[in-house]
Amino acid sequence: MTVSVQLHPELRKWVEERLSRYPTRRSLLVPTLIQAQKYHDYASPGLMQAVADLLQMPASEVMSVASFYTLIAKHPVGKHIIQVCHNVSCYLRGCDEVIARLEERLGCKVGETTEDGKFTLITVECLAACGSAPVMMVDEKLYENVRPDQIGRILAEAN
Amino acid sequence: MTELTKVVMRLDGVAEAHRLDVYEANGGYKALRKVLGEMKPQEVIDEVKASGLRGKGGAGFPAGLKWSFVPQDHPGPKYLACNADEGEPGTFKDRWIIENNPHQMIEGCIICAYAVGLSHIYVYCRGEFYEGKRKIEQAAKEAYEKGYLGDNILGSGFSTHLTVHTGAGSYECGEETALLTSLEGGRGHPKIKPPFPASEGAWRKPTVINNVETLATVPAVISQGARWHAGMGTEKSKGIKMVCVSGHVERPGIYEVEFGVPISAIINDLAGGVWQGRQIKGYFPGGSSTPVLPAEKVDVPYDYESIAEAGSMLGSGALIVFDSETDIVRMAEVITRFYAWESCGKCTPCREGTRWMLQIYERILNGGGRMEDLELLLSICDNLEFKSFCPFGDAAVSVVRSTVSLYRDEYEEYIREHKVYRRRFTPVKH
Ligand SMILES: Cc1cc2nc3c(=O)[nH]c(=O)nc-3n(C[C@H](O)[C@H](O)[C@H](O)COP(=O)(O)O)c2cc1C
Ligand code: FES
Repeated sequence: MTVSVQLHPELRKWVEERLSRYPTRRSLLVPTLIQAQKYHDYASPGLMQAVADLLQMPASEVMSVASFYTLIAKHPVGKHIIQVCHNVSCYLRGCDEVIARLEERLGCKVGETTEDGKFTLITVECLAACGSAPVMMVDEKLYENVRPDQIGRILAEAN
Repeated sequence: MTELTKVVMRLDGVAEAHRLDVYEANGGYKALRKVLGEMKPQEVIDEVKASGLRGKGGAGFPAGLKWSFVPQDHPGPKYLACNADEGEPGTFKDRWIIENNPHQMIEGCIICAYAVGLSHIYVYCRGEFYEGKRKIEQAAKEAYEKGYLGDNILGSGFSTHLTVHTGAGSYECGEETALLTSLEGGRGHPKIKPPFPASEGAWRKPTVINNVETLATVPAVISQGARWHAGMGTEKSKGIKMVCVSGHVERPGIYEVEFGVPISAIINDLAGGVWQGRQIKGYFPGGSSTPVLPAEKVDVPYDYESIAEAGSMLGSGALIVFDSETDIVRMAEVITRFYAWESCGKCTPCREGTRWMLQIYERILNGGGRMEDLELLLSICDNLEFKSFCPFGDAAVSVVRSTVSLYRDEYEEYIREHKVYRRRFTPVKH
């Protein structure tokens, strides 16, 4: 059986403050798992067990739901997450070169984490910023009209 | 020269327009005061109906009519889900509204809640909108403090609440019934219709679902009147639309125009024409889910009916332009990969069909395509369209069918010459 981890008290508080806004506890599942990643490394089985207990639902259902959503990390990830859009408008304006440069500079491929654990590189679908394509995000920050020659500076900024 | 008609974007360029005091100084929340002080709920619905306002999320369904479907005498809570999931590739207008003028959307939500008698507003905001979620939360806090939200709003006796709910990276959750499943804490799978959300929606209670842009237009409709709104646009497509222009144009961006202007005018006058002095090869009129139209059809008027007549859809208002140098097969693969990876997996035609199509594209781009593959692609399209559980499947076939028929020679060239597309990176699903 999975042993649940101790949930961060701030996370507990965050959930409890919001329960009255929904008719059911489990409605908070997805927001809770997203919020949890601010305090815990990733949605580990132990974390999901703890969230299941908190929201009074089966852990298997928490895991089933978590597995559906790409923004919920089910395995350890780097300190910073780089999300590069690879959808159509960004493709038309050169995202392939940006992604190639990112792989080169980071020394890891799309879907991987750098050896020092600093960055995880993933491609994502349209980020609703196609007017300034190509775009990428480092954690919560959006970079627009990205050119391959800017990648070094962007990575340095996050470091 | 084509004119912009700024309605939802009327505060474009006004500094700090996301703040309550700035919004109020520019006439904000006057429409809410008007409905609470002078209008009965039914009168608000009638006004929105008379304005001809249609949903801006993709389907173009009349907003007032949707509101009137909610049973008035239903006991217990009823809800509004404001669709801020903005996932349709090529679309970036809702993010602009949320980040630059969130109060206009919130005011529209409250007016809708008053008209239909809704006790709670859930703004379902896509997970990647970190800045947007902060902006709506801050705006909602200001609105609560000022008495525009909460119990007994402005002393009217009407109460409604607002909660920002985050998505977590799933395109399908923008589909209205999948959005509800996600809101309830489930995998983002769509629900069967009927019952329609208006009678049985979130937590099986009557629920209105409207797009951000639709709701942000409502305050203007109330302030300036149904006749003013109905006087813009065309006979059947009344009013204005924020058009998101992206791809190979000189000035990509959002241009709010009256329905009916020629698409070529939007591309050339407003977006600066095709970039680098090149020629247009074709375009998506309403996002990646809408069939591609060829260069010859660039003078089509920008309204629901004319674009439908030309063989496509106005969709969410995402005009994606591509130039004469574009590799059509690779572009279609990019989009097909998106549908294959974002299919929620609930129904077989969509889950399997989108993946088969992607495999065929990969085969062609790797130089191993077969001429029969083109018929195979079209046959998968036939077995997918209108046979999937929700409209996702119909969306997925648009690019395949339209590009195979319009640019068949490019597909054949890849296959005949065993041409290989040189990838800069290997896509990986996470
Ligand atoms: C696969 C799919 C994805 C959708 N994504 C969105 C979306 O991101 N935002 C949106 O407003 N509507 C989206 N829609 C349309 C919604 O189902 C719904 O029609 C719309 O939110 C209703 O609002 P409206 O009448 O104001 O346009 C999507 C539909 C489908 C089939
Ligand atoms: S396609 Fe990249 S942000 Fe829209």
